[in-house]
Amino acid sequence: MNGSVRSSAALVWRHQRIVWWIWVVNLVLAWLSSLPARATLSSVLNHSLQSARFVTGFDAGAFAVMLIRPDVQPGPLATSAITAAVVFLTYLLFLDGGIFAVYLDDRKLSRAEFFESSGLYFWRMFRLSLYSLIPFALISAANGSIAQWAGKLSNDAAPERLGFFVNLGGKLLCGLLFLFVRLWFDLAQARLVKDNERKVLRTAWRSLKLALHSGRLYASYVGIAIFSIAVFALGTALWYYLPHRATGASFLILELVTIVMISSRLWIKAASARSVALMPAEVLIMSPLAPPMAEPTLNPAEVAEGSNAPEPPKSE
Amino acid sequence: MEIRCWRICLITVLALLTLRGAAQTAPLSERVVAYQIEGVYNEKTHTLDATELLTYTNRTGNTLQTFPFHLYLNAFQPKSTWMTEAERTGQRDESKDTPWDNKHFGSNEVKSFEVVGQGDLTKQMKFVSPDDGNMDDRTVFEVVLPKPVAPGESVQFKIHFVAKFPEVVARTGYKRDFLMAGQWFPKVGVFWNGAWNCHQFHASTEFFADFGTFDVKLTLPAHWNVGSSGLRTGEHDNGNGTRTLTFHAEDIHDFAWTADPTTKVVEDSITLGNHTVKIRMMMQPGHMTSAPRYMQALKGTMRKFDEWFGQYPYPQITVVDPPHGGGAAGGMEYPTLITADTTWWMPKSLLVPEVVVEHEFGHQYWYGMVATNEFENAWMDEGINQYSEAKVMDALYGRETSTLNSRLATASERGTDLASYVGVADHDPLSRPAWLFMDGNSYGGITYFKTALMMLQLENLVGEKNVLHALHVYFERYKFKHPRPEDFTSTMNEALGQNMDWYWKQTIYGTEVLDDRILSASSDRLDWYSKDAEKKGTTLYHNLVLVQRRGTFDIPVLLEARFDDGSILRETWDGHDRWHNFTWDRKTKLVSAEIDPDHGHLLDRDPFNNSWTAKDDGKATGKIAGYWTLLTQWLEYALSWLA
Repeated sequence: MNGSVRSSAALVWRHQRIVWWIWVVNLVLAWLSSLPARATLSSVLNHSLQSARFVTGFDAGAFAVMLIRPDVQPGPLATSAITAAVVFLTYLLFLDGGIFAVYLDDRKLSRAEFFESSGLYFWRMFRLSLYSLIPFALISAANGSIAQWAGKLSNDAAPERLGFFVNLGGKLLCGLLFLFVRLWFDLAQARLVKDNERKVLRTAWRSLKLALHSGRLYASYVGIAIFSIAVFALGTALWYYLPHRATGASFLILELVTIVMISSRLWIKAASARSVALMPAEVLIMSPLAPPMAEPTLNPAEVAEGSNAPEPPKSE
Repeated sequence: MEIRCWRICLITVLALLTLRGAAQTAPLSERVVAYQIEGVYNEKTHTLDATELLTYTNRTGNTLQTFPFHLYLNAFQPKSTWMTEAERTGQRDESKDTPWDNKHFGSNEVKSFEVVGQGDLTKQMKFVSPDDGNMDDRTVFEVVLPKPVAPGESVQFKIHFVAKFPEVVARTGYKRDFLMAGQWFPKVGVFWNGAWNCHQFHASTEFFADFGTFDVKLTLPAHWNVGSSGLRTGEHDNGNGTRTLTFHAEDIHDFAWTADPTTKVVEDSITLGNHTVKIRMMMQPGHMTSAPRYMQALKGTMRKFDEWFGQYPYPQITVVDPPHGGGAAGGMEYPTLITADTTWWMPKSLLVPEVVVEHEFGHQYWYGMVATNEFENAWMDEGINQYSEAKVMDALYGRETSTLNSRLATASERGTDLASYVGVADHDPLSRPAWLFMDGNSYGGITYFKTALMMLQLENLVGEKNVLHALHVYFERYKFKHPRPEDFTSTMNEALGQNMDWYWKQTIYGTEVLDDRILSASSDRLDWYSKDAEKKGTTLYHNLVLVQRRGTFDIPVLLEARFDDGSILRETWDGHDRWHNFTWDRKTKLVSAEIDPDHGHLLDRDPFNNSWTAKDDGKATGKIAGYWTLLTQWLEYALSWLA
């Protein structure tokens, strides 16, 4: 574990109240969205002897039959889950400003300071998130194309497992690209807050260059992602071996996994924030990549002197 | 005296040997057809150039002058009925609106058609479309002979044809070097119920043919492993990279073969009574982990069928494991040859290889020997076989775990059958011809699963042993014949010793839906006006369970009521009316009530409303809703990567 990973983990640990709040909202939103499902299920199961099929085990056939009942509508139930996810995303976008303010300064903000930062940067974070959809969509499209190609290989290529490995490799590659884009926009988010930058697109553009020169930070991202996946795998493996009746233990283990996953997401944010906080000012301000929308306004005197000409960014 | 004894012994032994010989050679079926086919396969063009000599013996009792033939491979052409139906509603191997691709093209081209002694009738061949009038469908042709064939007479057809195989679809065709040759030769229709029965090939139909003998000679690349119906009887290396193989099969109604240079052959045998059957499995090298699973399922199935229904009389069964991408060849039955289905990553907990092998072997009985008309009465082979599958899988792998057996979840044959049936319960009657069902879901849900549930439910009405015995009688009576639905029902009625027409009327010929439920239940004080506190064991209660017949299926209803003193009562209602009150005035209160407490009403489309408990038990709700909450949390988490 390199220093950046360690220190950003310590940052998340020191400000763990953020983790708990995010987890609580994550849980409460999910619980609220499950209320219609809970009501439907209780009307079907609570006074039926058939419910035993889901207590001592899980009868997939009976579950399928239950889903076909006219009063059990999986469509609307799924819609409520998606709605909860969108609300949670909005909530995180709102918190991003406060989270980065905490991580950049590494100090405990008062509630007022925290929410002031959150509110101040909300729209900028929202716009940044919209811009991030473009590269994410491209990666998603690439993933879809690779999966389609892999499917064709699985059918047609003589080596039987070729399609599987192409798909796996493609997913891995897309995962790495995804992490890079996340790094790029995490850096942009951190810079927005650090410099109270208003030009969102320009910040995103400059952060791309910065991200391209942030090899060690990217390695931290990959490491944290692997850690997160490992915890997920371990947690679900533990849960797999629990008896069906152990619902309390299942809840504890799987919620712990969820907390670790949320922490990991914050961990990489903290790594970005720490990286931006430690960067020399000129690296952040100066970039050879001109933002496409902002025309640079130069003082003719400075042009004549040439002494303040921008320097290329330095790698971390 | 001694000499006399020796003579008697000798005569007895000779007589026994003679009888045994006669038994061995006596045909099992009324052999109507004798096919002799010779063909040369071209692996580059995926074509077989062949000549067929068909000897047809008229055992119909009628004079025949018109003869219809199937050319099944012509189904794989853009304007055929099969392709049109598959394109419109989807099919097992063809999704709806799949674009046409030339690799899907298949054909049976008849180069010449001669009737021995009557001349070349190629020009008299006429394509017909008896089912839908589609003039572009070329899956059935007819020929009118100059000279009729009298009852008892034979006629010989000499047909030169070229079969072009499509990339594997609907259980036939090639995939890379693999070839599954099914429905590959011109096949004469069946004269049945006083008329020719020769339907076009539809997206949802299978096959129907007469029993007979097959002598097939195939010239193939020398390095290919070959499997077939019947037995291999000869082999000749031609010295030019090809070899010619000869095969012989008796008392079957179709002949399929397969070839693949990469398969590994696994051989074993099983002895059932005094009859030993050779098992030949042609495995893909990457699927060898499934070989023991296939073998165990196959042997277990063969034992159960032998025990329950009757003997498998053939000397061999071949199991073909199709390659990856060739799944369209998987899960298919041909006489004495079946195709299986697996993948290199198949989990042990998912019993797909077992289910497929079990099901396809079951067709050796329900299709192979009891050769029903799959076009018109698909339930009689697929459905009865699905019932057999449920019985065998339950016996071999456990009733609750017969399709899925993992720590996370289990699934049973009965449960998955019901899940497949519920959504289409009132769409079509079983008795409907296969191509006239509402859609593929209805065809599958009704033909396979309703029949299976109908038979399992019958066990609840008349007893499991009685149903198995009745099916044994039906098998013995109709093996090597073409029974009709009324043959099935009358044999069952006779063997069960009771008239079950009321049941067949609703299940086979009707679309009645079974959905009985407990509408309400209560235990109210009889002295409701009293101000005294309730006293357990002293206070008298009016216990009431209101049962409603929500569906249209009329069947007796058994109710089990449990009371808080531990007593259990069972009462029956004839189920004719729309509702019924079960009442008991007792000093005990109801704890629970359940209709169909033995869970034998398998056709009941909603088992969740069949019971009632006084206590509100939210364990299951809490568990499922808890996991739903967790999944939502993870969905939220996944989306949070955009923030």
